[in-house]
Amino acid sequence: MVTQEERNILRAEIRSRGNNLSAEDRETLIKPYLPDPADLPQTRSRASTANSSSHSRRQKARRTPIRTFLKSQIHHLTYALTHIIFGIIVRLLQAYHAVVDRVFAVVYHHHRTPELIRKDVRGLKRLPQHLSVILTLRTEDDALAVLMDEVAELTAWSACAGISQLSIYEKTGALKSCIPALHQIITTKLASYYGSPSQQPSLQLFAPHHAVYGSTSDSKSEVPPLTLLLLSATDGRETMVDLTKTLAEMSQNGKLSPEDITPELVDAELSEITSQPLQPEGRSDRVPANIINPEPDLLLIFGPYLKLDGYPPWQIRLTEMYCTGDRSHGVGGYGEAVEYQGFMRGLWHYAGAQMRFGR
Amino acid sequence: MAGSMHLSRLRNWFLASPPIEFAISNLKELLVGALRQGPIPQHVAFVMDGNRRFARSHGIETVEGHNLGFEALARILEVCYKSGVKVVTIYAFSIENFKRSKFEVDALMDMARVKLSQMAQHGDLLDRYGAKVRVLGRLDLLKPDVLAAVNKAVESTSRNGDCVLNICFPYTSRDEITTAIRSTVEDYSTPLQANGVPRTPFSESHIRHNIRAQTQGSKPLDSQSDSGSTSAESSQEDDSILRNDRSNRVYESGSSFSSSATLHLDKNGSHGDKPAFMSPETISRQTLNDHMLTKGTPPLDLLVRTSAVERLSDFMLWQCQENTEIVFLDVLWPEFDLWHFLPVLLGWQRRISKSRKNPDAEGNFAGDNAESSEEDLDSLVLRQSKLKAI
Repeated sequence: MVTQEERNILRAEIRSRGNNLSAEDRETLIKPYLPDPADLPQTRSRASTANSSSHSRRQKARRTPIRTFLKSQIHHLTYALTHIIFGIIVRLLQAYHAVVDRVFAVVYHHHRTPELIRKDVRGLKRLPQHLSVILTLRTEDDALAVLMDEVAELTAWSACAGISQLSIYEKTGALKSCIPALHQIITTKLASYYGSPSQQPSLQLFAPHHAVYGSTSDSKSEVPPLTLLLLSATDGRETMVDLTKTLAEMSQNGKLSPEDITPELVDAELSEITSQPLQPEGRSDRVPANIINPEPDLLLIFGPYLKLDGYPPWQIRLTEMYCTGDRSHGVGGYGEAVEYQGFMRGLWHYAGAQMRFGR
Repeated sequence: MAGSMHLSRLRNWFLASPPIEFAISNLKELLVGALRQGPIPQHVAFVMDGNRRFARSHGIETVEGHNLGFEALARILEVCYKSGVKVVTIYAFSIENFKRSKFEVDALMDMARVKLSQMAQHGDLLDRYGAKVRVLGRLDLLKPDVLAAVNKAVESTSRNGDCVLNICFPYTSRDEITTAIRSTVEDYSTPLQANGVPRTPFSESHIRHNIRAQTQGSKPLDSQSDSGSTSAESSQEDDSILRNDRSNRVYESGSSFSSSATLHLDKNGSHGDKPAFMSPETISRQTLNDHMLTKGTPPLDLLVRTSAVERLSDFMLWQCQENTEIVFLDVLWPEFDLWHFLPVLLGWQRRISKSRKNPDAEGNFAGDNAESSEEDLDSLVLRQSKLKAI
């Protein structure tokens, strides 16, 4: 759109810090790139120009109805064509990735052995300390059971890979209402990976404004303890709205002046919600204060494209994001299955490594 | 090495030759015109990342890299506005960037000053094409001369319509959110009126008066002596309902307050020694939205970050709503062009038109988010309660 010659003029202009060309020079330079004033909405051009010129312009606009018609037809055609071609390319890529995924799924299979999973992450330069995963609740009848199984699998993989902090975001918050059941399912899953309970990592499960569920880290197993945090859409923007309400109330009562509200204060308040669960009642032994790092290091999205779906905004400032992508489309139909190789791909990507065929 | 150098020079010469240049520019025109035929994101944000890396890998000065980045920005803005994007938000400078070398910061500031003052010189041109420039961020951190240029550019384009270019200048999202919270709190902690409007919609004296009237059994006479209300009891009730209605509206929006409050101040002026405030319970997501720097713009549809860094780096955290698509591209910003942006736009169009055809599928979102998000929440709550029932 811009010719080389004009580009050179512009660059010389930039180098001289805008002293080369006068305002008129620049206007003549950009004039060819501006749309025809006749294409603009009538009201604007009528307001800006005199009556006589707008009259002539109307004549000019009337002169080329066929040309504009043809132009719009060509655009329609190109739109259809590009989308057909693009669709084909997308489908081909999906098919390719689906095949690659199957191969990876065969090559990298965990076989429910912690040693194999540990081996898969051994070569990685860095591992996320706090992993966060966005899951979606499907619409089928057994959706909650499927979701809980996915959470259990993810917990087991994280435990095996040596990630001690895992948070699961699910928009509706369905998981939060069945923490004991979830704990049971995860424990069963861990047993199928680790065997007897003495070798399992101890598991703590909590959600904001909920008490910690599960054993505290007093067990003597050599596997590091695991903390699982459940998040939902209400822990994001709604929580910030609640914070604003509280602050407004305090300010109205004269307990706080608006100048006291700093990023540090907001950060402290919001972090506390996810990092410090309520103390279980009737327990005297204190849970360590910061049991989970409020800012996740890696955010895994099991979905066709990267959308945050209402994930708490404050905490993801520096979080790396990885989306498993639109792969099983047409195979699985709805949503994206949580698969081991997707999880691994995310970890490898985080470490800046490429996955290869063959372990 | 030498071979590739020759090849790239040959390619550049080939691309710069008039017939090819003409063909490419026509092809671009055609593609942009074609894009217009489908759904187009209303609000696109860019993180212009990779200028420094580009400069390093090409052996040019950092400042030169930023200049090339500016060219890329101009290119992509042309594509955006021509294809019908209403608002473009760019991350030009982070508050954190002040920590970079003084030389680079100064050069960037200088560049911004020059560009913005040039923009102000073309006021009438910008008027005609209706682009509005807004600078978002901590303007108080800028040097006076840059600030003057910013103000001039913003002022001279403020009356323009349709298209908006948001330049996030010294900006971080956490700072923006904090500022929004602070200004909301400030709004809610300024008393509504010096003598105040009572919180309760029913006035105490009114009720006391009614009770007295009932026990005495001589309503009509007494209520005529009452200052504002009419004679019959039924109409008194109407009145209080009406008043209830009004003061609810006061809580809902600060703007309607001034007109409605004055209406019944004369009745209630006698009491309310404590200053009255808007109820904090009326603060909603929308309230915070309206205090963000991006207020009044359509919800963010697409966020593009170049140079394969896959984080938001404190940009548009609040604005990345449920349905914002985030795209990380493995291309340095100075190389960014229509060819990289086209697949992103096509993919977006494809998904949108699919979800419009089949609204139950995942990834469904219509253009109007303001209402649908509320509905979303409702259906969410419904679904949740259903789940609990199971």
